[in-house]
Amino acid sequence: MAEPYLRVEGLVKRFGPFTALGGVDLEVYPGEVHCLLGDNGAGKSTLIKTLAGVHEPTEGTIYIEGKPVSFRSPRDASDAGIGTVYQDLAINQLLSVTRNFFMGRELKGPLGTLRMDEMNKIAHDEMLKIGIDFSDPTQAVGTMSGGQRQTLAIARAIYFGAKVLILDEPTSALGQKQQMGVLKTIKKVRARGDIAIIFITHNEIHSRLVGDRFTFLALGQTIGAGTNAEIGDEEMRRLMSGGAEMGDLKEELAAI
Amino acid sequence: MADGNESDRLQEETTFQRLLRRPEIGSFTVMVVIIIALAIASEGKSFNALGLKNNVAIIAQYGIIATGAAVLMISGEFDLSIGSMIGFAGMSMAMMLKWGLPFGMGEASPFAAFIITLAMTLALGWLIGTVVVRSGLSSFIVTLAFLFFLRGVTEVSFRLINKSTQISGLPDYKETSWFANILGGDVFGWFYDIWFMLGGNLNRRGEQWVEGFDARFLWWIVIAGVAYFILSRTQIGNWIYATGDNKEAARANGVPVNRVKIGLFMFTAFCATMFAACQVFDTNTSDAAKGNLMELFAIAIAVVGGTLMTGGFGSVIGVVFGAITVGLVANAVFFIPAIDGAWFRVFLGAILLAAVFANERIRKRITGGI
Ligand SMILES: Nc1ncnc2c1ncn2[C@@H]1O[C@H](COP(=O)(O)OP(=O)(O)O)[C@@H](O)[C@H]1O
Ligand SMILES: [Mg+2]
Repeated sequence: MAEPYLRVEGLVKRFGPFTALGGVDLEVYPGEVHCLLGDNGAGKSTLIKTLAGVHEPTEGTIYIEGKPVSFRSPRDASDAGIGTVYQDLAINQLLSVTRNFFMGRELKGPLGTLRMDEMNKIAHDEMLKIGIDFSDPTQAVGTMSGGQRQTLAIARAIYFGAKVLILDEPTSALGQKQQMGVLKTIKKVRARGDIAIIFITHNEIHSRLVGDRFTFLALGQTIGAGTNAEIGDEEMRRLMSGGAEMGDLKEELAAI
Repeated sequence: MADGNESDRLQEETTFQRLLRRPEIGSFTVMVVIIIALAIASEGKSFNALGLKNNVAIIAQYGIIATGAAVLMISGEFDLSIGSMIGFAGMSMAMMLKWGLPFGMGEASPFAAFIITLAMTLALGWLIGTVVVRSGLSSFIVTLAFLFFLRGVTEVSFRLINKSTQISGLPDYKETSWFANILGGDVFGWFYDIWFMLGGNLNRRGEQWVEGFDARFLWWIVIAGVAYFILSRTQIGNWIYATGDNKEAARANGVPVNRVKIGLFMFTAFCATMFAACQVFDTNTSDAAKGNLMELFAIAIAVVGGTLMTGGFGSVIGVVFGAITVGLVANAVFFIPAIDGAWFRVFLGAILLAAVFANERIRKRITGGI
């Protein structure tokens, strides 16, 4: 099998005395969607924030293309090809699609002037590639639907060199139809073949629809992992509800 | 295509609808109404040769500081210290011109007085900006503190050094200094020359009446032009909008949010200094009360011009229309003696309120997609 683009080994993250991640392993491959599943508080957001350079790991190592890396800031992570699309999307509603797309990384001509036509074209083309034909990129983002905003944020991350695309619950705040739009977008990015996607979700159906590989977290531990084919529906349900945690609980109760 | 129907829906917008969506539309309409009403009520006097000059003088004054206030507001901050900064800068220049450079360094040329003053006001702008971004306090309260502080410093300095809070009777530097002349002299004389050649612009004796506009007209055009260019065409402009709209989103994308804000506090200080310099070199006087309430006019004009109080949205063109509207009404009493000058404030209050509602509607329309 191909080498994973990103590999995480024994990742531990403690906040003071509290262990948010207690030794997590993860491998993500280009051209694959890796679903990260788990209950609230399982540590999903902590894991991806560590990957995105927001937190430094307490223990464990992150490898990019086999080489160990350490991120001191989100900049380091994004330079290493990790593009994170957070739930709030880091988008400005009153600005145009193009101005959002290039926010902080504008294309400049002489005198610091914006190469607006070129930027409009790129924003339009990049979004078209993954699913929306947004005819007028000079429109304010406020006029876009939630799903379209996701697409904008994803297209932006890819255009600026993301090799690993991290999507933090991209479907959770959307209506049914728009959720499907985002899933289509994920599929399109996957079809490029060169980008690894980490897809965080609560939704079993969504993960079945687009996921190649699953990792289940509970209380900061990996409680299960496998490919879409390996994990049956029964197993999936057990792991989604925190599997090991339930087992422990049973033993504890029996011991009384 | 995913969500194809929604992009189609956007395509239906006509050019006319796009025009209505522009932030300048409200202020433009009000301006046109005011120009027509004033021309009729003053029987044309407000736009005769002298009337035009006097109107443009006050419009340019408002326009200069409102541009600074508006660009800062677009980045999401306020500056209540503009008026006091005007007083401070005017005091500083006039005092150097009268009493010489600090530390006994000899007589001050107009250029030296201006540059040293500008260095101080830019430093103050930097300080205000730094306090705001570092403390995370509201700029409203920080700049309110500087409103009092600077006005106080201005008065105290006047009394300590000058024994009086006024300076008048300075030599007319315009005669001797090209630098004083470009700030306080006349500009666009050709406009009035042509008017005269065409048979207008005559005084009672049939000679040419008005020679040119006040130089601040030129400075307003320069400042508004540069601000327009920067906001709409440059990377820094994009950063200013992004900072005011959603600071955290801007920061997450690598926009240097704090530097943008500090830079714009320095820009409002610059605008206040230009306001003061034009005044000092035009009239050869200064007074500790100069610029009083100007910060509020500047903010009011910015809002009338379509700038959102919450940041992220606004246009320099709209502010130009706002300055013209407010300037004309402020001056109206001189051309229509029958009216009470206090109506100006009634009017300003009314259009300000109307503008706030109109701006809010525009904001909702733009962000109405969700
Ligand atoms: N900065 C932090 N400081 C202290 N505790 C934190 C911090 N961030 C997250 N946690 C804790 O870590 C646990 C995992 O949180 P999180 O990663 O957000 O879970 P998830 O995204 O899976 O819902 C939670 O109990 C949360 O309270
Ligand atoms: Mg979370």
